[in-house]
Amino acid sequence: MNMSSRARRRAVPLLAATAFFAQPALADAPMNNGAAQVAITLTGDNGGACVLDHDSAAAGPITFTVTNESAPAISELELLSDSRILGEKENLAPGLPASSFTVTLDGGDYRIYCPGAVEDTVAFTVTGESKQRAQSAIGDLLDEGTAGYANYVEGMVDAMVTASERLAAKVDAGDVEGAKAAYAQARPFYERIEPDVEGFVLPGTDPTDNSGNLDYLIDMRASNLDPAVGWHGFHAVERDLFEGGEITDETKAHAAELVKNVKMLADLSGGIEYRPEDLANGAAALLEEVQSGKISGEEEAYSHIDLVDFAANIEGAHQAFAFLEPGLKRIDPDVAETIAQRFADVQTMLEDYRDPEALGGYKIYDAELRKSDAVKLSRAIQMLQEPLSRIAEKVATAS
Amino acid sequence: MRGQDDKPAGLSRRGLFLGAAALGGTIATAGQAAETGKVAPDAMPDPDQRRYAFYGTGPQAGIATPPQQHLMAMAFDLTGTDPRALQVLLARWSASIGLMMEGRPVGPAEPDRETATALETGEALGLGPAGLTVTVGLGPRVFSKEMGLAAKAPPHLRPLADLPSDALRPEISGGDLSLQACADDPQVAYHAVRILARIAKRTGAATVRWTQLGFGRASAGAGQETPRNLFGYRDGTRNITTPEQLAQHVWANDGPEWQHGGTYQVMRRIEMHIENWDNAQVSHQNDVFGRHKLTGAPLTGTDEFDTPDFKAKNAQGEPVIPTHAHIRLSAHETNDGIRILRRGYNFTGGLNAVGRLDAGLFFISYQNDPAHFEALQRRLGASDLLNEYISHTGSGLFWVPPAAPKGSYIGAPLFAAV
Repeated sequence: MNMSSRARRRAVPLLAATAFFAQPALADAPMNNGAAQVAITLTGDNGGACVLDHDSAAAGPITFTVTNESAPAISELELLSDSRILGEKENLAPGLPASSFTVTLDGGDYRIYCPGAVEDTVAFTVTGESKQRAQSAIGDLLDEGTAGYANYVEGMVDAMVTASERLAAKVDAGDVEGAKAAYAQARPFYERIEPDVEGFVLPGTDPTDNSGNLDYLIDMRASNLDPAVGWHGFHAVERDLFEGGEITDETKAHAAELVKNVKMLADLSGGIEYRPEDLANGAAALLEEVQSGKISGEEEAYSHIDLVDFAANIEGAHQAFAFLEPGLKRIDPDVAETIAQRFADVQTMLEDYRDPEALGGYKIYDAELRKSDAVKLSRAIQMLQEPLSRIAEKVATAS
Repeated sequence: MRGQDDKPAGLSRRGLFLGAAALGGTIATAGQAAETGKVAPDAMPDPDQRRYAFYGTGPQAGIATPPQQHLMAMAFDLTGTDPRALQVLLARWSASIGLMMEGRPVGPAEPDRETATALETGEALGLGPAGLTVTVGLGPRVFSKEMGLAAKAPPHLRPLADLPSDALRPEISGGDLSLQACADDPQVAYHAVRILARIAKRTGAATVRWTQLGFGRASAGAGQETPRNLFGYRDGTRNITTPEQLAQHVWANDGPEWQHGGTYQVMRRIEMHIENWDNAQVSHQNDVFGRHKLTGAPLTGTDEFDTPDFKAKNAQGEPVIPTHAHIRLSAHETNDGIRILRRGYNFTGGLNAVGRLDAGLFFISYQNDPAHFEALQRRLGASDLLNEYISHTGSGLFWVPPAAPKGSYIGAPLFAAV
């Protein structure tokens, strides 16, 4: 969710490209069970083709039935209006039974997009006007979701300010055990929303200079230490508390600076507007965080509360997804259900690691646990990453 | 019963011409040529363009196919018990393997839409098919009651028995699905497995369990010179190669008709204690194998292909080929005629946990009853002289269904109504 560079949007190949497509004008698709019936066949002919039996239908419910007859390279298909995805089917392979989806469409020009086909876009026309306008709600649902998510991020940032102040207070009081507990309580707020708040630089500093990079100043780790800028933030305090086991003047200075920077972050991050794909990309980035920093035990090198961060990353990703879910369910109910189920699976798995006695409420992720469980944890995340990585495209084009 | 997997398809004109001259140009004579050992598939022009057919009737490619130079094997665990998830996975795997064996990408590597993620990862673009074969196997749990596929189980599929000298590590053993990707370019084999693992994740049907990279084929197919294993010995001199031997020992001929042409795949990770072996006297090494290192001839002969004389005694009245020599214990003459097709690869994983070379033989065999492998390994595991220098650390048993006709997929009959 990089705030600085908004991705250029590039439209899918447009109708103009398909004007040469020599498809005979066919009659409107026949009605059956109250829906117009359109059959789409994927064949391996001429390098891969996507063939419709009817290229038009009357407005109203339309059922598209897709059969992959012999096209090994085409495994999915989308129904598009402009660049919005209105419906899609995946896992299409030769030999599998036909699968279908039904959408209610207004009069207008649509396209069937078959990535992997030589002519990957086929025109489809809807005539007349439908009484139902269900599809136009997708954009509204997604907009509601992004607004809701912005509130969530704001709430997390506020809580982070409070939690880091509590940590600083314990440090100032010289209370090592209290500070350790406060450290574990403060960490999840940052880990839930890290992709939203990591792009900020202090006014007047070069973006490549870590001394002005708020993410570095708040969340740098031993593994990405910039010697020119030195130790700062959460992990500087962590190192003193958990490795050194004592609070020095330097620890107090680090904690105070952390509070200052978290407040600065709260100021800078207020009022961000999100696009649906920002939520999707942010959720994916949080899972990448889990894979690259937590499963390896690199994040919490001294306190070993990596599983606390792990759970927070998952929770943050789940929130981002949950705010997209109502819209995504309209676009692709299968993938929405798959992702919801895999979030549930990961959360169920995490239950096994809960330990009310441990700092932050999860087992200490020591070398032994890492050795026995890292592979299992990584696999569970991979299963979630794969479908999640594809929703940015769906919601970007649907909104 | 013979599949088309031995027939390199899509040769260049030059290749076809040379091939025709040498092979007689037909499948029927390929086996014949193999027996005479005159045609080395390795010598055919432009190995990057060598190509085998995925679709067809009879066995899958990658079994009787002359072993390529490189292996990438991977086993998967099913994530659930929904047979439809497995069906989707096998169908998408098959369609993708069909493309990759033709040297084609699996969809666009650079899709038009900026927000798209591509299935095709691109690292094999332009490398050619490189003789790629991907062979799909199904483990015992696929046919469990929970999956609802118990009625479709091949008659001999079950977990392998515990065998003497096994030192198996669960994390590199077992699995519900296996992929054996072989190619003459390691990147082509790796790409294939990577894409198929990606599809497994996308469908959510299976997760990766273990994987093994192999190099330097360690078994000879029809027409190939016998290669050497990492102990420096020729391996596979007495391997089976002819259509008749394959029909008798490898292709399943029991079970329902749709299973005919299937076979049972055993995969074993056999670590070699390289440093110990290298310090052993060569005469002892020769005794361990029962062959001469340089020529590969049995200790009772002078030529690699001389039939070993297990009765021969030396001046002291001892057997020339020791009682517990590898060649004796594994010979079909001493095992009620049991023979298996070996198709293994050498491997190395760098250094092991104690700083020694982590290397060995990734043994793959095909047979029409896994009991045949068990019988051989029971004897070898109990008393093979080689046991001092090896450990079996990984093990898997899979049933390999026959090939799929075009428009279908591997294992499709599993999902037909009973």
